[in-house]
Amino acid sequence: MSWLQTPNLIMLQRFLDVDAMRQTLVTTNVANVDTPGYHTRDVDFRGEMMRAMNGQADDGTSPFVMPVRGLLARPDGNNVNLERESMLLAEVQLQFKTATSILHTEFLQIHTAIHEGQ
Amino acid sequence: MNLFRVLEISGSALLAERIRAEVTAANLANVETTKTENGGPYQRMNVVFGARPVGFHSFNGMMLASLADLHAEDVRVVGLAPDTTPPIRRYEPGHPDADKDGYVSYPAINPAEEMVNLMGAARAYEMNASAVASTKNMIQAAITILS
Repeated sequence: MSWLQTPNLIMLQRFLDVDAMRQTLVTTNVANVDTPGYHTRDVDFRGEMMRAMNGQADDGTSPFVMPVRGLLARPDGNNVNLERESMLLAEVQLQFKTATSILHTEFLQIHTAIHEGQ
Repeated sequence: MNLFRVLEISGSALLAERIRAEVTAANLANVETTKTENGGPYQRMNVVFGARPVGFHSFNGMMLASLADLHAEDVRVVGLAPDTTPPIRRYEPGHPDADKDGYVSYPAINPAEEMVNLMGAARAYEMNASAVASTKNMIQAAITILS
């Protein structure tokens, strides 16, 4: 572990990675709102962050993608719920912004240390 | 997958919904069209959407892809399907397109149904446009790490 690879930074990096993957899938769901037979999918966000907190995120595996259960399907077999997806769009975006500003602060601290607090 | 590819997924949906709106508008415009190039009344068109996995540009890209990337699918218009509902026949013996019994074939188009379709396309377009805005915000947030 190099001096820059603090647990905080590794955790934040993983968080941003998984968040970006989640954005990919939410966008896919929104794009396919009118595709017959399409099923909503999502990453196992909670499970992946648990793994990251236990220090298992470094083994190069990717988070699980699973179909979302409990959504009402339309007669054409499509079960995209626009309310769910628009909430997720906002949520993922704010989470991403939060993580980037924390990351920014982490780097600012290192910067302060390099410049001896001046 | 980087966030710029995510923009492309939303872009594909914007295109597909626009085509849907165009075809619906054509259906609405031709609600009374009794003569076409192929002869006979205008035939109502249905847009068929299909999900298509986002292509990988290289073998390397494929190997580095995460499960989420492999499940990312953009949307394409896979075809235009003509509606097979038989035309509506109206008795108008003076009409130039009337058959020998005096009936004119009009396309079987329900304007209310087309309007609903048009609204659906417009709403889906808006939703995808806000997905683009959200992804753009994320890219901008990532840039601020540098500053």
